[in-house]
Amino acid sequence: MEASHIFSDIKPTDLPAPPQAAIQIMRACSKAEVDHTALTKLASSDPILTAELLRVVNSPYFGLSKEVTSIARAVTVLGQRALRNVALCVSVRDALKEDAIPGFDTSAFWEDAIRRAVSARILGSMTSVDLDDCFTAGLLQDFGLLVMFFLQPAHASRWSELRAQDPDTRYGTEIAIFNTTHEKVGRMLALTWALPEDLVESMGHHHSNKSIPDDNHDQLRKILQCSDWVAAVYNATDKGDIIDQCRKMLDDLLGLDSAQAEQVLTAIPDQANQAAEALGLRIEQQQDFDSIIREANVRLAEANLSYQELTWQLENALNERDRLQAELNNELDLAREVQSSLLPRASSVDYPVIGINLSARHLSGDFYDFFTLPDGRIYFNLGDVSGKGVHAALLMAKTISLFRCLGKRIDDPGQLLGQINNELCETSTRGMFVTVAAGLYNPKTGNVQMVNAGHLPAIMVGKDGKFGKLDAEGLPLGIIADGEYPVKSFNLSDGSLYLFSDGVTEGYLIGGEELGMRGLLNLFRSLANKPPQQRLESITAQLTNSAEALRDDATLVLVEGVKPGA
Amino acid sequence: MESNVSTEGPFTVIALAGEVDLYYSPKAREQILSYLNKQKNVLVDLSKVAYIDSSGVASLVEGYQLARSKKLQFGLVGVSQPALQVLQLARLDKVFPIHGSVAELIDNK
Repeated sequence: MEASHIFSDIKPTDLPAPPQAAIQIMRACSKAEVDHTALTKLASSDPILTAELLRVVNSPYFGLSKEVTSIARAVTVLGQRALRNVALCVSVRDALKEDAIPGFDTSAFWEDAIRRAVSARILGSMTSVDLDDCFTAGLLQDFGLLVMFFLQPAHASRWSELRAQDPDTRYGTEIAIFNTTHEKVGRMLALTWALPEDLVESMGHHHSNKSIPDDNHDQLRKILQCSDWVAAVYNATDKGDIIDQCRKMLDDLLGLDSAQAEQVLTAIPDQANQAAEALGLRIEQQQDFDSIIREANVRLAEANLSYQELTWQLENALNERDRLQAELNNELDLAREVQSSLLPRASSVDYPVIGINLSARHLSGDFYDFFTLPDGRIYFNLGDVSGKGVHAALLMAKTISLFRCLGKRIDDPGQLLGQINNELCETSTRGMFVTVAAGLYNPKTGNVQMVNAGHLPAIMVGKDGKFGKLDAEGLPLGIIADGEYPVKSFNLSDGSLYLFSDGVTEGYLIGGEELGMRGLLNLFRSLANKPPQQRLESITAQLTNSAEALRDDATLVLVEGVKPGA
Repeated sequence: MESNVSTEGPFTVIALAGEVDLYYSPKAREQILSYLNKQKNVLVDLSKVAYIDSSGVASLVEGYQLARSKKLQFGLVGVSQPALQVLQLARLDKVFPIHGSVAELIDNK
């Protein structure tokens, strides 16, 4: 037989054949009127079979009160149906002998089959279905599987895997391996062997929940469905779940209560031993139900333990994550604190330069600073590093430090930015750059020297309400070394000079729209008569009133001119 | 928020689209650098860019700096109005070679 047998092409001749005499005895017993003479004649044609049938019917399992010594007598004592069943059992047993499938443990298959048979027989006794019919059907219900291995022996090694599975899972695995089911093959075989219709139906449909029209056949189908699960308790791995499923099915399908279910499950090992002996099949020492329950409980305890272990590990992992998150948040808070300490402290009320920084969630790339030179002039700046987060904050710290440090020696803002630019270019990374507007203000003269490196324009607002704009003329710092940073000089007089970051112009107002340059200019004008600190606070208040989160830091610096001589 | 790469003449053209922000920039950066590292001349098409922030501009700056060190060509094409405004504001339109279109650039060669 080829390993890749296609089941749709099975021919009767491919199937294992039963002993002819047995088939004939079986058929003779299936007729309404048994012809005793014909039976005797058939029996004498195969004395070995006759002896075997008599041995079986006289075994304790069939429990005859008196030994029978002829086939004709057996029919009288047992009934023709019972004899038919015994003949059938002996036939299938002999159809595939122990060594019929290379590498396949046939005796293990029969052991399981016997458990299904005795289980069906017990269930029959509890539900008033003919015991021998149940036994035979149980013995035969999975015979199709044996035939599948017979036709495709190459898969023999998968048997132990199938055996360890519950009936439903096994059904799926079977389809995956053979692309057919033992129901279909079993039914085909039953038809080929011309088995009685109840067997054909129950062999062909015991995995489906669909009823069979004939009530008796349907009851047998339900019994077989249950016996499959009852037997699985003894050969599958997942005993706990299967026992639960068994109890449920026995109740749902056959209306058996838990005590009856217990009775069925407990009776299997002993009955299986007796039936095996009756049929002349050797089976392993049967494990009793109590020890199966103990084994299942141990497994359940192990599973619960590993579930608890998992929960415990998960809890630990979550705690660890929270701890790391808290640690990181702590670090970031600390970094934010250090960063804000880099900004100038609030100055005295009459100091002409003030600044404000409204922090978004992230570490900031914005900065501002101002400090007085020994001659009284004041350096001021406002900058923005590309990007956000830790890397932007580090570059911000470097830039603001360079400005403060070099600013004390270089009193030309253009040269100062040129120097800082060269320093930043030397260590440039990831294309990061800094835009800065900076200047030097002389409060004594009102003179301002401004420089703008790629930053938003600085805005001057005169007392007359007129605006002046100082656009960027130099490139942002950190892109190209040796850049030019042209200085523009003008007199601030009693006007106001505003520097700001894009977080201000791109901030959202209460209505959800961006403040924009135009909106900011309007605010400068409308707030012109307020004290400087109040002006900056009013502007940032506009941005924090919005329901939208502040998407970027908003930073402003105001240089407030004092009319010379005032 | 997607980019598209094509080869036109001697250039690898990387087209960025949508909002080139903090989330999209790392991807754009990686793409630009990977082609430059393969010794390709790179043009970044900004015609479909609706918004670009400073992190996006930094990716372009890094591409420009790497190309210069490798003596490769790097430029921008079809710069959309919003992107151009950002570049102009920071004077970066004076840094990057900016071309109307790839075809225009190849024709003028």
